[in-house]
Amino acid sequence: MSKLLELKNISKIYGELHALDNVSLTVDKGEWIAIMGPSGSGKSTMMNIIGCMDKATSGQVIFDGKDISKESRRKLTEFHRDKIGLVFQQFHLINYLNAVENVMVAQYYHSMPDEKEALEALERVGLKDRAKHLPSQLSGGEQQRVCIARAIINSPELILADEPTGNLDEANENIVLDIFHQLHREGTSLVVVTHDDEVGLEAQRIVRLEHGKITSDKKNDNFHE
Amino acid sequence: MFFRMVRGTFARQWKKMLMIAVTVALGASIATAMLNVMLDVGDKINEELKTYGSNITVIPQSEAVISKLYDVENNDVQTEYIEEEKIGELMTIFWANNITDFAPVNDTLAELNGTEVTLVGSWFDHHLEFKKKGTVYQRDTGLTNLRSWWDITEGEMLDEQKHSENCAMVGVQLAAEQNIRSGDTVTVECSGRTKQLEVVGIFESGDDEDNYIYTTLDCEQELSGCGDMMKKVEVSAITSPDDELAVKAARNPSLLSGDEYDLWYCTAYVSSICFQIQEAIPEASASAVRQIADSEGKILEKTQLLMTLITVLSLFGATLGISNLVTSGVMERSQELALLKAVGATNGEVTLLVLTEIMITSVIGAAAGYFLGFAFAQVIGQSVFSSAVEMSGMAAFIVIVLIIAVTLVGSIPAIRMLMRLRPSEVLHGGH
Amino acid sequence: MIVALLAIVVGATILSGLEMIYYDVPRQMSAQFRSYGANIIFTPSGDGDINNDDIEKGVEVFGSDELEGCTAYRYENTKIHNMPQALAAIDFESVLKTSPYWHIGGDMPSGNGMALVGAKAAEGLGLKSGDTFVCVNSFEVDESVDTSDIPSYEMYTDPESGETYCDHELELVCSGILETGGSEEDYIYVTYDDITALTMNERGCDIVEVSAAGMQEDLKAAAEKINSMGLTISAKLVKRVTASESTVLTKLQSLVFIVTFVVLVLTMICVATTMTAVITERRKEIGLRKALGALNSSIIGEFMSEGLVLGGIGGILGSVLGYYFAQFVSMNVFSSSITFRPLLIPITIAASVMVTGLACLIPIKSAVDVDPALVLKGE
Repeated sequence: MSKLLELKNISKIYGELHALDNVSLTVDKGEWIAIMGPSGSGKSTMMNIIGCMDKATSGQVIFDGKDISKESRRKLTEFHRDKIGLVFQQFHLINYLNAVENVMVAQYYHSMPDEKEALEALERVGLKDRAKHLPSQLSGGEQQRVCIARAIINSPELILADEPTGNLDEANENIVLDIFHQLHREGTSLVVVTHDDEVGLEAQRIVRLEHGKITSDKKNDNFHE
Repeated sequence: MFFRMVRGTFARQWKKMLMIAVTVALGASIATAMLNVMLDVGDKINEELKTYGSNITVIPQSEAVISKLYDVENNDVQTEYIEEEKIGELMTIFWANNITDFAPVNDTLAELNGTEVTLVGSWFDHHLEFKKKGTVYQRDTGLTNLRSWWDITEGEMLDEQKHSENCAMVGVQLAAEQNIRSGDTVTVECSGRTKQLEVVGIFESGDDEDNYIYTTLDCEQELSGCGDMMKKVEVSAITSPDDELAVKAARNPSLLSGDEYDLWYCTAYVSSICFQIQEAIPEASASAVRQIADSEGKILEKTQLLMTLITVLSLFGATLGISNLVTSGVMERSQELALLKAVGATNGEVTLLVLTEIMITSVIGAAAGYFLGFAFAQVIGQSVFSSAVEMSGMAAFIVIVLIIAVTLVGSIPAIRMLMRLRPSEVLHGGH
Repeated sequence: MIVALLAIVVGATILSGLEMIYYDVPRQMSAQFRSYGANIIFTPSGDGDINNDDIEKGVEVFGSDELEGCTAYRYENTKIHNMPQALAAIDFESVLKTSPYWHIGGDMPSGNGMALVGAKAAEGLGLKSGDTFVCVNSFEVDESVDTSDIPSYEMYTDPESGETYCDHELELVCSGILETGGSEEDYIYVTYDDITALTMNERGCDIVEVSAAGMQEDLKAAAEKINSMGLTISAKLVKRVTASESTVLTKLQSLVFIVTFVVLVLTMICVATTMTAVITERRKEIGLRKALGALNSSIIGEFMSEGLVLGGIGGILGSVLGYYFAQFVSMNVFSSSITFRPLLIPITIAASVMVTGLACLIPIKSAVDVDPALVLKGE
């Protein structure tokens, strides 16, 4: 399998605090990785660096064979909107746009907004009939599904999810995880940051972080397609 | 999509946008009101200054030269006059609308109960009609406005419609000396002709006129036997303060270059109005009453400067108020804007979106504010000067430019913040 | 917070600046109205002339700040080229203070032997600046006249009546032509020394023009006071100037008043919207406090006192800045400094605290009514 993403000796230092301390990690194409650890272990920092939303203090980030750690902020933005889809714990939908419009925002900044495609994306997450609803009219699970639809609309190579089920009940959690499985089958790489074992155990590979260092990196034997 | 996002903002976040629009409207209304008042205050104060009396006198062309040479013993016998029917020409000149009032002043020495007094014939509230080239010009004019400082101590002001032509107003000092009361009839003799005049009022003027008798023009013309002639006409006109061009033109208008001449002719300088009066009535000579004309210029200048500075202050206040709110309005939306960046928007795209929304809000606010401000200007105009303030295109232009500039400037800190905004910091908040 | 403070400071600055201008406008403008010239004239109270010492006594009624200038006129009838011509003696140094509107072509006479000729008189006599002319004063020579100074060729005896007459001559240089558009153009103006030399008679003046700053009522009171002093002068208001000045000044002051009022109301609304924005931003904080068990009243109290302190600081800063603003306006418009009125400072601060308090009250009330759970969850 070819490498999609490689972190080489990444450190991120905030003043005295070493949020990430000389971390190296490789993500293959089509791989589903869970990054787990308690609060303050450096999960969010790592996600920001992978998602091109932050720069490491030292070390290299190689994405698809290209070193992006020295790129300008604008290049990073372009890179990130082409290759990566983001899913947040708080969904972060624009509250004055309806579901389909929220999906189209991502299209708009990527290329051209296309309502038909956006509706298809919503269909994939089972929300076609809720397309014209505002975020405030949707349940938490539905909002998260809109967020996922928005993440996949530009066919990214990597989906980056930050505690995607943190604000959801069990039924909705299962729906979201089903969608992840489906994406995985289609060959999309997934990086899911979570502290929830149940969610972590769904992944192919589990990486554990503690105090900014990787403490374990194991294949998940229980993984099922 | 851009349009849908903008529309979404307005359709579903109208409360926030309304607040910004209201502030912009308030700022714009201050600006509009102040600018309109400032641009019109010159004319308004000028009208008020008309209470000082006429600022131009028109006398027969050759009177100035000839009367001194030949009428050595009696200055008031004139050889030259202005024909009464020619005076209507005053209403046909370029700056006719700036002429607020005019009245003939025919003075004659007459005898009243054996003492020599000055008798003045004039218009009081005269209705004048003048036909020229098929157009009928008409105007109510006369001393009633030109002697606004008169105190009527007894009786009333002479009214040409109500009273007969053989009525008179007597100066307070003369009335006291001769023991004349309002309602009395006095006999006036002049060059062998006598007339009985009914005294309708006693006035106090505070100057030499307290010793005069004022009567109607017709009555004076009959007594002095000068026919339908005028010896002197007092004109009160709204003028612009003199500047370098006016000073240059006053020396000799023919020395001006073509452009300068046009500018001078089309500006309401006292000298250009005088010049136009002479053009219209060639046998007359019009000259500025320096005491009035100069002072008007000075006071106008000061008033305008005062209003300008007050306006600048108010604009400054309005500016700060608006930019304040624009800034905080954008800051409030930082989370949403950070999200757009996380979804892949570049700084430029987010800035454009924010600016478009703010600009639309501002323009709506400014339009509402302009009309509100114009209403304020009218309130000011009506309550202070009892007349409407003119709508100025210039004020509208300045307000538009100002509001756009203010909105842009007010957005600068917000945009700088946007540039620095890290989506990662905002989006992971609230854990 | 900085944003709100800025808004309050700007509001208070505008308020205090306009207040000061409002109170100072009549005084400052009144000085400008002095360009209309004299607003009080002294005439002889009896049949005689005005005693020159009495002028000073009369003028003392006005303070040195109020008195703009005073000019005494003495008129004499003389002949030039055998034609009657009125001469007036004045002090050339002070005349422009009472008649600032005089336009002089050429130079103002700088001493004896020079004359300022009215435009009409100059036209009649054919005089230009620099020309020389001779004034003749004819009078009958009787015992009261000291003939020792009169050249003999000026005297002649009428053969019929046997009386002796004198045609006393004085040569004058026309240094400038006076243009006013009024009756002043008929006269020729000379110095007191020249007129005494020509008439061989020293006497007081006929009329005194006084230009003093003040509203009509003040001037009236001053005139009455002068008249009650028992001098040889009787003071009179030039109504045309004083009455008109009062009208225009009243209008101007009410203009500034209304402008102040409108600007004040609008600034108040601006401060209120800014405060609303500031408090809306802090809704989350308010919700959190409520969730932690704070009472509505204690939250209102806390936020209000914050607002009032802000209003107070803004008011103090605004008063200071407003004074500098008013001073700036005054220096630029009237070239004189503004009168400092300490009373305006507490007024400004009180107004600023009140406005801020009112502006805070409404948004705080609506903010505390919100369910804390909703606020904390986000939208």
